[in-house]
Amino acid sequence: MEKVKSLIKIKPKKYKDGEVVKVSFMVMHPMETGMRKDKKTGKIVPAEYINSVKFDYNGQVITTMNVWESLSANPVFTIYMKINGAGKLTVSFTDNTGAVNETSTKIKPKG
Amino acid sequence: MQRRDFFKKLGTVVAVSAVAPMMSFAADEKKPKGPNEFSYEKAVEAITDGKGAKTSSKITLKVPEIAENGAVVPVSVTVDSPMSESDYVKAIHIFATKNNNSRCLAVHLTPANGKAMIATRVKLGGTQEVAALVEMSDGTFLTASQSVKVTIGGCG
Amino acid sequence: MKTGIKIALSLALLSSLSFGGEQFAMSDSDRAMYAEMLENNPADIMVAHGEELLSDMGGDAGLAKYLGVSESELPKYIAGFPRYIEKFDMVVGLGQALQAMMHDTGKKVLKLDSSDMNDMLAYTKSIANDEPINIDVNANQHMKDAYALGQITFDTKRGGRGLSCLSCHSPDVIGTILRTQPLPDLGVNNSGGTWPAYRMTKSNLTTLQGRMQGCMKNALLAVIPLGSPDIVALEVYVTDKAKGKAIAIPGLKR
Ligand code: HEC
Repeated sequence: MEKVKSLIKIKPKKYKDGEVVKVSFMVMHPMETGMRKDKKTGKIVPAEYINSVKFDYNGQVITTMNVWESLSANPVFTIYMKINGAGKLTVSFTDNTGAVNETSTKIKPKG
Repeated sequence: MQRRDFFKKLGTVVAVSAVAPMMSFAADEKKPKGPNEFSYEKAVEAITDGKGAKTSSKITLKVPEIAENGAVVPVSVTVDSPMSESDYVKAIHIFATKNNNSRCLAVHLTPANGKAMIATRVKLGGTQEVAALVEMSDGTFLTASQSVKVTIGGCG
Repeated sequence: MKTGIKIALSLALLSSLSFGGEQFAMSDSDRAMYAEMLENNPADIMVAHGEELLSDMGGDAGLAKYLGVSESELPKYIAGFPRYIEKFDMVVGLGQALQAMMHDTGKKVLKLDSSDMNDMLAYTKSIANDEPINIDVNANQHMKDAYALGQITFDTKRGGRGLSCLSCHSPDVIGTILRTQPLPDLGVNNSGGTWPAYRMTKSNLTTLQGRMQGCMKNALLAVIPLGSPDIVALEVYVTDKAKGKAIAIPGLKR
């Protein structure tokens, strides 16, 4: 399966241990509702939407999401997260067609 | 490695809050056309187990009054909470109350979030209320809503 | 003159041009919400992807070397596109410069309308973020010619409706409304510095040349091909209108 393009952004870029930072997860996904007609063929475009997202920080699941087709195409999910040591944040996500993907970013608190 | 961890972690941290509503929704997943058709009223009833929710000023729901484009409507929900082990926001649900499937997103938080907030973008099929339903760690439910005027729908 | 434009516009209105019309009567707080969206522009992913693609060709350093400038001069240099480049003996857009680099380094040359190319172009232009647009339309005869051609192309009425770019983007009509959309001032809107942009109505990344083609399609003007001297000239002309404005890629547009 082709890797889905996705990105994790942390704000601010520099942060300390214990700080609460903004984490945005962005992913290229059509989020097809299964109700839209293709303008050219007139056929219904099959449903294809992300249905779950999970944020794992150093082995601890800090947030999970159930997602439905009403989110915009190429969705963005922004949450907060308390920095609690260096390591890795992994976001994994699935869609209704069975695709499974994940992306990670390093967590490097300063001071 | 990942797979086993996935379920283990999912089990310990969010079993009650995340998995339960997911299962109650699974039943209508197979309908043709609008695969997840689910009304706002039904969803609130299922999530709150019939208890309903009370309107609260602890919730800050931000959506535009007039949506530029129904396909991309920014929504953010912030809940005033200490996010401590004993008092935190367990879940934030976002609804487009008049969409075929009113459910947009259910976010299951933990104290490790530090702050209770979710921001995303939704599709709105037309002018309607956007609602947030918030589950607190003590089992109570709070809600807030705002109407959004949409000139060009984002669905279909 | 002014009435001429009004007539042209009302014709356009009658024939229901499709611009994916949206509401614009937004409050300031609504506007602020949309501005906040820029923080997490979906196109950031495309830009990150573009960076990966460019790094396969040597990254910023490789590009600087290919263009014959130092890496520290690269942002300023990019902020001057489209520009005349001697080794091509042509005024080129950034996309064409990338194509030439692909060709000369033995890489597969991506088409200008491919999504990989858009991603790369967006990343490359973002190298110049915060840099003021410094296009110099008097740098040499080639640039002067391109500017003149751009202006002619912009002002000339074409197509079944007899519309020109100017019909909709002239000071006389700017701010008036076409099918619920205000007609934008391309200078004030910093079109030269905000494309490639994510288009919310299309859920994709579009380049400035691609956006201009969109206007041609909507107004039923024959579409000028990407990379052709005419569209590069249009890009020169439109970019010059935003000269001095800061580059901010990726943009976020309707
Ligand atoms: C029939 C009217 C019309 C014509 C003719 C027209 N445009 Fe436009 N153009 C518009 C409208 C309306 C928008 C803004 C749409 C929006 O806000 O999304 C626009 C947007 C643009 C933008 C993007 C502005 C931004 O936000 O940065 C550019 C660039 C542009 N036009 C260039 C051109 C060029 C070049 C031509 C001639 C080939 C042209 N337009 C012809 C109506 C027109």
